[in-house]
Amino acid sequence: MSNIVEADGLTVTFRARGTSSLLFERSSKTINAVDDVSFQVREGETFGLAGETGSGKSTIARVLVGLYKPRAGSITLLGREVNFRKKADVTYLRRNIGIVFQDPVGSLNPRLKVSEILKEALVATKEFDRKDYDKRINEIIDQVGLRKSAIKAYPRELSGGEKQRVSLARSLVVPKKLLVLDEPTSSLDVSIQAQVLNTLRNLKSELSLSILFITHDINVIKYMSDSLGILYYGKLVEVGRTYDVVTNSKHPYTVKLMANVPRLQRVEVKQELLSEQGPASSGCIYSKICPSVFDKCVEPPPMYNLGSDQLPLAICMRKLISRTRS
Amino acid sequence: MESPEVPSRNLLAVDGLTLDYATVDGRARVLENVSLHIEKGEIVGIVGESGSGKTTLGLAIIGLLDSPPADIIKGSIAFEGTDMRSLNPAELTRYRGTAIGMVFQESLAALNPVYKTETQLRESIEVLQRAQKLHLTAGAEAEMMVEILKDLRLDKPEVVLKKYPHELSGGMRQRISIAMAIVEKPRLLILDEVTTGLDVYVQNRILTILKDLNKRTGTTMILITHDLTVASQICDRLCVMYAGRVMEEGKAENVLNNSRHPYTQKLMAAIPQGFVDSPPLPAPTGEAPDLRRLPAGCKFHPRCPFVMPKCKETEPPIFEAPDGARVACWLEEKK
Repeated sequence: MSNIVEADGLTVTFRARGTSSLLFERSSKTINAVDDVSFQVREGETFGLAGETGSGKSTIARVLVGLYKPRAGSITLLGREVNFRKKADVTYLRRNIGIVFQDPVGSLNPRLKVSEILKEALVATKEFDRKDYDKRINEIIDQVGLRKSAIKAYPRELSGGEKQRVSLARSLVVPKKLLVLDEPTSSLDVSIQAQVLNTLRNLKSELSLSILFITHDINVIKYMSDSLGILYYGKLVEVGRTYDVVTNSKHPYTVKLMANVPRLQRVEVKQELLSEQGPASSGCIYSKICPSVFDKCVEPPPMYNLGSDQLPLAICMRKLISRTRS
Repeated sequence: MESPEVPSRNLLAVDGLTLDYATVDGRARVLENVSLHIEKGEIVGIVGESGSGKTTLGLAIIGLLDSPPADIIKGSIAFEGTDMRSLNPAELTRYRGTAIGMVFQESLAALNPVYKTETQLRESIEVLQRAQKLHLTAGAEAEMMVEILKDLRLDKPEVVLKKYPHELSGGMRQRISIAMAIVEKPRLLILDEVTTGLDVYVQNRILTILKDLNKRTGTTMILITHDLTVASQICDRLCVMYAGRVMEEGKAENVLNNSRHPYTQKLMAAIPQGFVDSPPLPAPTGEAPDLRRLPAGCKFHPRCPFVMPKCKETEPPIFEAPDGARVACWLEEKK
């Protein structure tokens, strides 16, 4: 199976707002929102990225559609490395990668009807003949499970779930190689979320789509993705097949994350806190709150391969030690 | 007053509450014959999809509904035996905050953007002082603020007090709004979607704090949410609403492990559990109904997998199950 997208050592830096800096002074402090992240999305598969708020999930999504430029590292799309300085390359990214954002209200123009919203996307690429527009719009409306009458509606006349389907239709009306879904169901009711997730799974097999699925909801990502990456403060701490990552977590942070997944039962909610503390400034970023921290953790841990397959990777010193011992 | 049979241990007794919203294209029945009794110290979850009337019920209890458009047709809301509907606005104001508190979903909208945390909290403390005729010194007030933020496990409370809402994260802001409500020591706290929009870990943290508060101080809580997993974590009792009606109500364990209403079952089935190779989710088809154009009979029948001819004609009454659960479904009749 070939890779649709490869991210290699992706690093995105933001200038931090200094707390004590003078009003017009530019702060020189920077934050790595995404720090040396590598992953692959394979053809016809869903790659999930999970993590808490502020872990850099959405930043990665935005890099993939050229909204942010990485400071270091590369994105390779269908074998071609993208040069973010070249406008043609960014267009190449956007033509092949579609994106759906979390907020269905904010991402649709309130003054345009659904048909016009979809037409805008078609006009922008010139991939379809003008006379085929209506046919294509009808086709995509059907595929994403929208009722026919929605074509003539304004976004405000649609429910949350329907708006999210319009976003989906807009990103797919011109066929894409990769679909990036950034928290697509987080603002929806549970029952509507289930309907949208079912539609997405159908679309994936019907159109043989590759998907990058981003969410903080482990229940959802488990249900949707073939492979899974866990982000913690911009670092990818574990990558592997979803089943392995969920049932046999390697990194202490992943273990803790999985323990926090809400289940349908009355449980004594744990007092444990996750990343209230913030990342450690040197060595392993998780060492500040890691329950199994030891003296080696002052050094930054290397990524290491867990199996014969190319995918499963985790970065944790303790795992490395226990592996070389066994 | 209208319900003398209500035992006195009930902190809140809502009986047969029926409420309309007058809209441009007709009246919408938002609540229909809703009854809910809450005992002291309980955490009761009100669960349902958007438009099921959960928030309206919460607002009706605390008396925050604007009339018009809201119009209470019948029913009573008794808090500690006092009929809330008979109170005039001034009397109602005395109940709000110190007797019944409410926290809303949008923490950014609930906080005043030009006030620092300490100013917002001080406002709440002043309400408490007026109610209890207390006179706290500035030092005591400050101590109280730090104490409450510590209770909510906010790191460095002294720093947080000096910050404006926009400088805080979503989870921190939500905890500040909760702090503003609980500092007034309400006997009933209504929490409307307080964890929606927050990620799972912050959500867990807030639920833990609420449960802890309930254990320590015995504050009675109503948790309004669309997410059954959220409600299932800390609630003693669950009340599932659909189209302004109570569909199922009972002990949390029973509703979760032995749900009787097809709607509750569908809601639970909609939560993803399996991996990528698992079958599609058996979600309820269609969307929540338009309250102005409700179907005849049981309001859930167009989406119900067990629909019978009877369901399309007559609305089911509330059947009481042996374990005390109340279920509005014709399937219960046979049992």
